[in-house]
Amino acid sequence: MKELPPKEANLFREILECYQSKQYKRGFKGAEQILRKFPDHGETLAMKGLFYNQMDKKEEAYELVKKGLRQDLKSHICWHVFGLLYRSDKNYEEASKCYINALKYDKENIQILRDLSLLQMQMRNLEGYLDTRHQLLELRPQNRQYWVTVAIAYQLLGKPELGVKVLATYEETLKDLPTTPDYEHSEMLLYHNSLLEEAGQIQEALEHLDAIEKQVCDHKAIKENRARYLLALGHMEEAQEAYRALLAINPDNVAYFEGLQKSMNLLNSSGDNRNNGKLTEEQQSKVLDLFMSLQKEYPRSNAAKRLPLRYATGEEFVKITDKYLRNMLRKGVPSLFVNIKSLYADKEKQKAVEKLALGYLAALEKSKGFDHSGSIIEPPTALLWTLYFLAQHFDYKRDTNKALEYIEQAIQHTPTLVELYMIKGRILKHAGEYIKAMDALNEARQLDLQDRFINTKCTKYMLRADKMAEAEKTIVMFTRADIVNPLNDLVEMQAQWFALAAGESHLRQGQIGRALRRFHQIEKHFNDYTEDQFDFHTYCPRKMTLRAYVSLVRLEDQLRSHPYYVRAAHGAIQCYLTIFDKPDGEDDEAMKGMTEAEKKKFRNKKRKAELKAQQEAEDRKKANAAALEASKKAGSNAAVALVEEDTEGRPLGRNPKVLEALARSGWQ
Amino acid sequence: MNIREATLDDMIAMQNCNLHNLPENYQMKYYFYHSLTWPQLSYVAEDEKGRIIGYVLAKLEEDPTAEPHGHITSLSVMRTYRRLGVAEKLMTQSQNAMRDVFNCKYVSLHVRKSNRAALQLYRDTLNFTVQDIEKKYYADGEDAYACRKVLRE
Repeated sequence: MKELPPKEANLFREILECYQSKQYKRGFKGAEQILRKFPDHGETLAMKGLFYNQMDKKEEAYELVKKGLRQDLKSHICWHVFGLLYRSDKNYEEASKCYINALKYDKENIQILRDLSLLQMQMRNLEGYLDTRHQLLELRPQNRQYWVTVAIAYQLLGKPELGVKVLATYEETLKDLPTTPDYEHSEMLLYHNSLLEEAGQIQEALEHLDAIEKQVCDHKAIKENRARYLLALGHMEEAQEAYRALLAINPDNVAYFEGLQKSMNLLNSSGDNRNNGKLTEEQQSKVLDLFMSLQKEYPRSNAAKRLPLRYATGEEFVKITDKYLRNMLRKGVPSLFVNIKSLYADKEKQKAVEKLALGYLAALEKSKGFDHSGSIIEPPTALLWTLYFLAQHFDYKRDTNKALEYIEQAIQHTPTLVELYMIKGRILKHAGEYIKAMDALNEARQLDLQDRFINTKCTKYMLRADKMAEAEKTIVMFTRADIVNPLNDLVEMQAQWFALAAGESHLRQGQIGRALRRFHQIEKHFNDYTEDQFDFHTYCPRKMTLRAYVSLVRLEDQLRSHPYYVRAAHGAIQCYLTIFDKPDGEDDEAMKGMTEAEKKKFRNKKRKAELKAQQEAEDRKKANAAALEASKKAGSNAAVALVEEDTEGRPLGRNPKVLEALARSGWQ
Repeated sequence: MNIREATLDDMIAMQNCNLHNLPENYQMKYYFYHSLTWPQLSYVAEDEKGRIIGYVLAKLEEDPTAEPHGHITSLSVMRTYRRLGVAEKLMTQSQNAMRDVFNCKYVSLHVRKSNRAALQLYRDTLNFTVQDIEKKYYADGEDAYACRKVLRE
């Protein structure tokens, strides 16, 4: 470090503090003051650059930071500042190189080591992360964060048993254990327990639970872990008890039911648990008895009623399904069919359900009951929901006519029920009648204008029918009205469904540029999700929510296998292939047979038209913004006309760089 | 129907469910923040296929001037999954966790003044009481009922 006289040295320390406390303007002025006397002081130059960066003056920032560094190549501050600059531009690779240089000149700088470790985690340089966190631990062994992050590093490197050792060593150093449960300590202990499980030390993990139980706040986690360990260790009776205790806490948790079944040898882990699970006859009768008794114990549990339908077969299936369906139709549960549908993989069950439902219909029409006994008169809505169920059933079988017949009868019965039109639309959609389907959904929407769900569904159907303008007009009824383009609210709020459905619609219509813009928007959302984790690398080890943190890291590692991303990628690939096959889009046809000179002329003309359109769009946008401003001033909430930001949306599609990239990647 | 504690893996589906149902939306980082600060408080409901059809996103209000209490950031259930008591079951689980894990004395939430169905759920089914009306609580200028429920005496 180049020495400054005491006065300036003090001032320099002050500007460092200004940066920490985000007083950028004050810091900037301080830096200028020093530079007036010492224009070549490297560290001050670098700091001035860093303040420029905060004022969004990127070019000046890089220029000054580099200049500062040239003046003082051995200053850890200059290198650190350069690293911070790169980091703010998310150039983590370069940033970590700078930090490593900074550490050459100040090996034990805690701040730089911490900053470096965050980048290493973000880039999943786990070996590097482990190494850096180890150094921090050695420098500050009294700090809990450094212990737990070393454990995390080992876990993520696939060595949870070393993580266990680290935590055990740390815990031994603790003298005053909290006498009442402390949330952070509790989370650390549960994390320790999870490491034992991951290391396959189940017996130790079970014993560890007993040891930590009194200090843990999350009692449910203790119970869940214990039940799981008992099961894994084959202590079936205790496991059974543990799962029964969990059901008392939450009798709608399917995992608890399955755990209980396993502990009673009533679930074959190899079988398809959604259907029969290949139980023997004896197991089957036992599992049904079990659920009968659980239904009595937990009369409000839906899972206890629904799960046995998976396991019952033949007569028994008919008997319990009959009871289940009647109950749901009586209550008018709209999701009944979706709930039952998963049983249809078994054709016998599908037939049995159809027979039951058709029987109800006949009986309700004649005797107002689900059977002809006349013992119970059902409410009039029972008929409605039975028709609704049958419509979906025949739609599932793609018997469109029958499905439509039933849904029309239901609509005649109750013309104001939103759900009926939704199913009508669904049937029509399945039949390829996208416009009619959209009309049905629009009727539904108009029956309940306050409900965003039906608005969303309706918009999806509009997009499926490639009615972009209608879709946009509809969806903005529920987006923020106080911004220039209300559609941007959907982008800002990361509404993936809309970008996907809109992108796919553009693609169907051959609007490649616009389609690409939507698909790349999805990519951007996922990039943001990746970026979102950064702050949690510091936050979670402080808060001790380590189990959740490790799930975040693992989620991020396979984020792009998410169906939304995969769909968007498929769409984008199709777009790029189209561009490659027909670089001039629809113009390919028009240019057939032209000479090169004619083609050139044609393209020029086209480009001029595009520029003109672009200019017009700009003007409209400006006018729109002005109108919004005016309406704000006038205090009116008048809806703002929608103007597409980019009328053609083609720049990406026509971008020669994109085409080059495609060519380079072997598409030629 | 499966009701269980939400995990980080549920956050994208929760965001999607929220965007389908409600006008108050949040960026992913806010969902992450909830799940990474109070992992025990948020719950999801899944259908037979494992799709998220309802959620409750909840937090701890750690205002230094008041005693810590639970707060419901957002609750919604897809329209097509109504009449199964899903919202109530989600709320019950979240409230129990507030009480048992974080020792909360009460839970609070806001309801749009125009949302009668929601008010009915909170007041009549879940025993919340209206504490106050917060003027222009929502971005579009609508008032909110500030509701509260005692979790332990």
